[in-house]
Formats: sequence, structure tokens, C-alpha cells
Amino acid sequence: MDIPGFVRFIREGQLQSAYKLITEENCLPSVCGRICSAPCENVCIESNRISVRALERFAADSYRSPFLRRPPMKQRGKKIAIIGSGPSGLAAAHSLAQKKYQVTIFEAFDKPGGVLRYGVPEFRVPKKMLDNDISQINNLGVQIKTHCFVGQTITVDELFEDGFAAILIATGAGTPKFMDLPGANIAGVYYGEEFLMRVNLTRANIFARYNPSFILGDHVAVIGSGNTALDCARAAVRFGREVSLVFRRTEEEMRVKEIERILGKEEGVHFEPLIRPVEILPDQNNFVGGLKCVRMDYADMDSTGKWELIEVPDSVFEMNVDTVIIAVGHKPNSLLTHNISGLKLNKSGTIKIDEDDGTTSVEGIFASGNVVTNAGPLLHAMVSGKHAADDIDRYLKK
Amino acid sequence: MFEIKNKIILAEDIKRLDVYAPDIAAKSLPGQFVSICPEEGDERIPLTVIDSDFNKGMISIIFRECGSTTKKLGKFSIGEKVSSILGPLGLPARIESKGLIVCIATDMGTAQILPICRAHRKAGCKVIGIIGAKTKRQLLLEAQMRLSCDKLHVRTEDGSYVKRGVATDVLKSILQEKKVDLVYVIGSIEFMQSVVSISKKQKIKTRVQLKPVMVDCMGMCGACRVKVGGEMVLACCDGPEFDGHKVDFDDFSLRQKAFEEAGTCQNSKSPFSRKNGGAGILTKLFSDIIEK
Repeated sequence: MDIPGFVRFIREGQLQSAYKLITEENCLPSVCGRICSAPCENVCIESNRISVRALERFAADSYRSPFLRRPPMKQRGKKIAIIGSGPSGLAAAHSLAQKKYQVTIFEAFDKPGGVLRYGVPEFRVPKKMLDNDISQINNLGVQIKTHCFVGQTITVDELFEDGFAAILIATGAGTPKFMDLPGANIAGVYYGEEFLMRVNLTRANIFARYNPSFILGDHVAVIGSGNTALDCARAAVRFGREVSLVFRRTEEEMRVKEIERILGKEEGVHFEPLIRPVEILPDQNNFVGGLKCVRMDYADMDSTGKWELIEVPDSVFEMNVDTVIIAVGHKPNSLLTHNISGLKLNKSGTIKIDEDDGTTSVEGIFASGNVVTNAGPLLHAMVSGKHAADDIDRYLKK
Repeated sequence: MFEIKNKIILAEDIKRLDVYAPDIAAKSLPGQFVSICPEEGDERIPLTVIDSDFNKGMISIIFRECGSTTKKLGKFSIGEKVSSILGPLGLPARIESKGLIVCIATDMGTAQILPICRAHRKAGCKVIGIIGAKTKRQLLLEAQMRLSCDKLHVRTEDGSYVKRGVATDVLKSILQEKKVDLVYVIGSIEFMQSVVSISKKQKIKTRVQLKPVMVDCMGMCGACRVKVGGEMVLACCDGPEFDGHKVDFDDFSLRQKAFEEAGTCQNSKSPFSRKNGGAGILTKLFSDIIEK
């Protein structure tokens, strides 16, 4: 992306040109302007680091020109099907539509967006901004077919019969990794994905007016230290609950951006570092009655240079919580990949792809995003979507 | 949007809807389910497809009004449109082609076992059906079950219809008399557990359909996790049909019972409601305009 170019445009006050320059490369500017991990800011060579992310957000949000809204373009190239309308699928669709292909995105839910709509809470990515970005992609001639679950409503073979020349699987990694914790199956224990989905899917994202449609106690403990865990904690705070975030390492080692951590702290999330949950205790009605934890401490540096953690002896204590949310990672959804015969998977459930040309073991089927890498920030998913688009382009021109 | 073409009230607060959804009707097999969201922003609920008509493009669903979402769905009338239906989801039921099969169900399970009885009968099995209910009023689909089974036993708990008794007693007597190849059971958790314990003694293959709480119904949330054979699986991807002997019912009932209890108090008012909105805010708005 031409960062100096669009920063210059913003300095000169030409927001439209800046926006256009961004959207040439990045199809979701207002989303990336909010939740991107912004590796560009860490390597900024300016003397006082420029906050590129904030500038991108500013350009995307302030650009509103109704005159430029034209009817969607009609593409005449070969037909390509993209399964999943998450960040990776949208990036690939944007890139392929720029190359004049007829792209159709298949989405199982009511609205496109994937994890951005159903996995990220409203206060981080407003749904209105997401709709804006997606309508820009729609304008390029990308069709989005909702209520269509590829593999169940329509199979991959039928897609090929319908005349699709290539299929890109971008279904992401949405299934939670199950935690081997005693008592993780009692009522009142949610996995992070389930909690965020319930918040986003129902109208519970308008926090002040709607009651959560599920059981949420007054004291909530969130286990995990990633972005999902912090999102869960911040969403629960907005419901008016007392929330503590429990994780094994220190605050500095959390895999989130520093500003998010500070915001979370300001909103009232209690950070409980160096604690390992041992057991979820049930009460008499088989709801969560408490969380048994052990304190951890640094012991020694192991051979790889990482600090080793050990339990502090006799430090078992009980946290008084009514709801536990577990957000310790995720793995790819197995439903689609099991339905395609001949598709080779890795041990962890991800799709095996060729390093050079991005194809899977089935001809004409490509894969990108978290379904290949299992986990990774938004940016990596979008980049891999773009690479997959290039691969498809090369494959179809052969 | 999916249009409701027909609506039948089967028993007290049990309703049947016929919805026009050609894509789903063309694909759905016995044992699969759909996830329905009545209005935008509601919870999605999984409901078994009872019948699908490929020519008309219609699917039928039967549900009991218990939670807030099913109550809302029950208020839909003919000609109205449901916001979203996704499906068919889950794996289709494994259908045997020969042998004697006992299909046993109570209450709402009767509706879900009907397509399985039909499919087995069509494939060439001999099907014995056992249905039970509390009273005659709550007995569902008796005529349809009679048509799709070779022999049907009906039991009501208070003796208001046919014979007083419990469905499991009939199963016990059948298992003593005949050589049964497969027992298929759908019903409440305790009922399934008791049937499985009976069939386990005689080492007869048993299949159950589990209906845990689901949120997105396509394997993304982990709400429908159940322990089968010591392994955690998702009922929406790997089910809803499971081997009855392997399911850990105690673990399963822990979560489900709590949700059932919570379902009754789900419609309580929000503690955060500020009493603004509705008619009050409109009059305030209009008075402001008039003053200006």
C-alpha cells in the first residue's frame, strides 16, 4: 500500500483521492483503520511515529460522496466462487473483481462480513462501517449470495457444474479449541466464540436497551489473553458485569495491541495476570459457583530464551464468579472440508496447500485465510486472500 | 425471506409450519435440521425437518412454544415471511435396509422420529413404532405414525387414550419376544437414558438424536458440545444422530437442564431498561416539533 501517498493526500486535504488510493489495495479501510494490528507503525522510519491506522480510519470515515455511488459494474470474465465472506474472502473477491472476473461470494448467514460481523463486537467495528466497506466491494460487481451453506445447501461438485471455473475456500477458523478443564461442561461456561456470537447475532449489541438473551452472572471471569478474550471481557463490562480477565502470563506478554489493553483497563476490566485456572466449581444447581485458580511465577529461562512458569506452592485460591468465558484459541471449521472428497488436511485440521501455486489437493479449489494458517491477525488473512486471488488468476490464464 | 404457506396447530402450543424454501427442500434428508431466525436480530433455533416436498419446494417443521423465539415463531401466520432459514444442517440419519427396527419416542420426539420411520420403511425394514405422551391432548401425529410403521403402540401416562403405561415398558416386552436389530430413540434426556440402559443390557444397537442448545448451528460456537465416547464433539457437525451407548448422558444433562430452567425466566424485563422508547418518545418528539 502506498502509505506516503495517502498520508500526503490527507495533508493536502484531498480525502477522496486518499480514500481511492487506499481502496486500490485495501478493500476494508474503515475496518482495518480500527482493528488492524498495524505492523507498519512499528517499522515507521519517521522520527515521531505516524499513526497510520488512525489516518486510514479518518480517511475512510470522512469520505462520504453520494455522487460517486454508481450502479454495480458488470464483469464478463470467468465465474469464480468464494466460500465465506470473512476478511480473506472479501479481499480475494475485491482483488479478483479488479481483474474483471465474475465473482460470487457464498455466505451462510444473513449478511456478509463473517467474523467481522459475528465475531467482533459492535464497539470495535460498527456494523454500519462494515456495510459501507462491503457496499464498495459490491459496486465492483461482486455478487453475494446469503443463506447458502456450501457443502449442505449446495455442494462443491454442483458449483463446478454451474460453470464456476475456480473455487476459493475462505471459511476461516471459527470452532473454539476445547479446554481440558474439569467442569468445563457445566452451565454458565461459554466459549468466547459462542459468547460473541450470541452478543452479535441477537440484538444484544445495543447494550443499554436489551437484556442478554442468555444467562450471564454478575461476576464474569474470562480465561485467555488474546483479542477474543479481551473482546469478551469488554462486551461483558458493557452489560454492567464485574469482569476479571484471567491469564497465565504477564500483561506485557498479551497478544493484543497496547492501546486495546489500556482501553480495556479504563473501561473497568480487572486484569489478573500470572494465574492459571485449575477447576470450575459447580454450585448446587450445576451452574458455575466459582473458579479454582493457582498463582504462577517465573522460575527460570528455558533453552529457547522464554521464561518458564511454575506454580507457586500453596497458592490455590477460589474466585467468586457466576459465569466463565473460555477464549483460548480456535481451529478451522470441519464441516465443509469433510464434504469435499479428496481434499487433504493437515494434522491440525487446516487445509494443505501448495506453497508455490496455492492450490489444494483438488484441482480448481484454492484456500486462503485462517483455514490454512489456523490463527493469525486480520491483516494476514486479507493478504493471503489477495495472494490466492493472484494464484487463481494465474491458474485460469494457463 | 421465506414465506409460510401453511400452518397447523397440532396440540396445545405445538404448531406445524410449511415454509417455501426450494433449495433446502431439494437437499434435505431424514434426520437433518434447519436453523431458523424468525425476525432479524433474534436467536437462531434448530428445528428438525419433518417432511420435505421437492416438487412444491416446501419443508415442514414442528415445534413447541417454550422459549421466547419459538413463541414468536408460533405467532407467524400464513403468508408472513420468516427472516432466515439455513439448512439442511447436520448429518443425515443412517438408514438400514433390512431387519426389525423399533422406533420409540415421546412428546416432541414423535415429530422427529416420523421421517426416520418413513425412511426405514421405504428402505425395506420392518418398523415397530412406540409413542408415548402424558395425555391424549399432547399426543402428536398418531395417524401419520400409523401409516409409516408396520405396527404402532400408543401409551398415555394417565390412560386417557388407548392404554395407561409408559413407552419403555412396551419396549421391554417387545425386546423379550422378538429379535430386534436396532432401537431408535428420540425424546427427553431421561427417557433416552432409560431406553439406552434397557438396550445396553441386551446389547442391541441403539441410536439417539440429541438436541442440545445451539447458537449458529454450523460448528462455530461450541455451544452444542457433547461428550460421545470420551471425546468432545459438536452435535451440529457430527450429529445430531449418535450411537446411544457411547453418549455421556450425565454430562449432557448438566448443561441442558440449566438452560431449560433459564428458558422459563427468559422473558423477564431488562434491568437496564430506561422506560424511554415506544409511544412515549414519539409524543415527546411531536410536541417538540409542534413547539418549534
